[in-house]
Amino acid sequence: MKFLRYMGSPLEIAAVGFAALMVLLAIIGPIIAPHDPYEVDFFNRFLPPSTEYFFGTDATGRDVFSRVLYGARLTLASALVVIVIVALIGIIIGVVSALSGGLVDDVLMRFTDIWLAFPPLVLAMGFAAAFGAGINAAILALIITWWPGYARLTRALIVETKDKDFIVAAKAMGIGKIRTIIFHLIPNSLDVLFVQLTLDVAAVILVISGLSFIGVGAQIPLAEWGAMIADGRSAMSRAWWVVFFPGLAILLTAVSFNLVGDILRRELDPALRRREF
Amino acid sequence: MNKETAKNVAVYIGQRVSLTAIALVVLSFMTFTLGQLVPGDAAVVAAGPNAGNERIAELRVEMGLDLPIHKQYGIYLSKLSRGDLGKSWFTHQPIWEDIKDRLPASAELVFLAMLLNVLISIPLGVLAATRFDSKIDGAIRLMVMAGAGIPIFWLGLILQHYVAGEAGWFPIAGRISFEYRDFSGSTGFLLIDTALQGEWQIFWDVLNHLFLPAITLATLFIAVVTRTTRSTVLRTLQEDYVTLARSKGISEYQVVVRHALRNALIPTITIFGMQIGWMLSTTILVEEIFSRPGIGKYAVKAITQSDIHGVVGVVLVMGVIFLITNLIVDIVHLFLNPRHRESVQGQ
Repeated sequence: MKFLRYMGSPLEIAAVGFAALMVLLAIIGPIIAPHDPYEVDFFNRFLPPSTEYFFGTDATGRDVFSRVLYGARLTLASALVVIVIVALIGIIIGVVSALSGGLVDDVLMRFTDIWLAFPPLVLAMGFAAAFGAGINAAILALIITWWPGYARLTRALIVETKDKDFIVAAKAMGIGKIRTIIFHLIPNSLDVLFVQLTLDVAAVILVISGLSFIGVGAQIPLAEWGAMIADGRSAMSRAWWVVFFPGLAILLTAVSFNLVGDILRRELDPALRRREF
Repeated sequence: MNKETAKNVAVYIGQRVSLTAIALVVLSFMTFTLGQLVPGDAAVVAAGPNAGNERIAELRVEMGLDLPIHKQYGIYLSKLSRGDLGKSWFTHQPIWEDIKDRLPASAELVFLAMLLNVLISIPLGVLAATRFDSKIDGAIRLMVMAGAGIPIFWLGLILQHYVAGEAGWFPIAGRISFEYRDFSGSTGFLLIDTALQGEWQIFWDVLNHLFLPAITLATLFIAVVTRTTRSTVLRTLQEDYVTLARSKGISEYQVVVRHALRNALIPTITIFGMQIGWMLSTTILVEEIFSRPGIGKYAVKAITQSDIHGVVGVVLVMGVIFLITNLIVDIVHLFLNPRHRESVQGQ
């Protein structure tokens, strides 16, 4: 196993394993879920964890384990949608800005700076509430608030690479501008962007579940981790498991994606590899 | 500061101030737009279900909804300048009054969370750096990782249920105990008011109510600052002047505290400053859990009541505080950090 060499501690291996497991569960979770996550069963309310219901049942007798599995797909898919779109917007703005220079660059970057100056959580709350609250509203709100970081990062990366020898060589060989951008400039910045994407998966998951918790994201009874916590909180003294397991899922997913991001950063950045902090 | 630097610094501050001013305008435009996004006709909603068409048409004129959009924005701005954020649907009070009444509770929470942040993260970061690669360092790194990945609303619920509820070490919710509910003071900050009046028992009670929400709010920030302190101290410990201090035979404690820490702390202080606005905005995830009557709880209440103008009011106030504190922190940073001062470039 070649990639195992890149990982240091058992903790890092566990993190990579868990992140991979979460991605897998997001894909096949609904297939292997033992129960219907929305099936109400009033005879089986608040059952503690057992071999039948691994994570117990909630106030309406729904299986918490199945709901957490479905939540993996919903949470990761939402985070992925946000991050992919945000990165695309950021890359386009960053590339245009870096390559145009002059006035266009100035205007775009001032605009980005202003956007960066706002508190993202509050802004996302405002937009999601105005869009009518719901998982799609939260996703859209996050896209609106999250792109400026990528625009800044991409611009910095492109400015750094655009005068490197291989780009000059590409130009000298008569390769078209668009071709150079897509096949030479952007790929050489992707590693840094990819690290940022991985780290942002964790951040976006935390914010989306937080928005759902306060009521502007996914709505109860949707099987989303933040909404599940909000749903179970009033009955915590009766059934701790309804709140505990979705929260644990968020925690472990966020921590493992953060760690994967750290590993990638260390391995992709030769300067960091030498300095261990 | 030489002349060249002084000019650069002046230009930099000018740029920062104008950027903040533009950001404030953009923010006002955004909150205006958010208010417009509400689905349905605002006049129909305001008129209520039994209103006739005449009343709706009347209201439309009254609310300025018949005007072109830029005029409506102009009216919105002039209202804002008078502190008029509209009326809340559920408290039936002007939103600005609501927010003003609730700000001290939030400020108190942010203050205590920041205090915990400073008291916990700096010692932890220094400890981790001085014991680099030891078991302690590993344990602290593990805590940082968990702190950066934990959903704090979940942490809050768990602390509330187990530490306050089952163990009974802290009050479960609220800002002050029921028996002291009649207490009032001039500033609205209960910690200050109780101290001024010498009511130390109530002071203690208020502090107890603050502790769990504050530690919940502080968690993520403690993780961030611990990590930064660790790496900045590690870096400064390798600087030449530290090596020189060591070679002069100064004790390791003195080297760390007098030389390394002092220089490592400047970026950390800036981070604390930047975190004030972040913490205030994060109260929306914490206050409601602990039933603290602050603006974060107000925002969540407005959400559950579908009162978009209440939500937008909080967005505006939190946004303004965020922008202004960051501006101040940025300028203060210039005066704290000579290296940063030398490196800024006025364009």
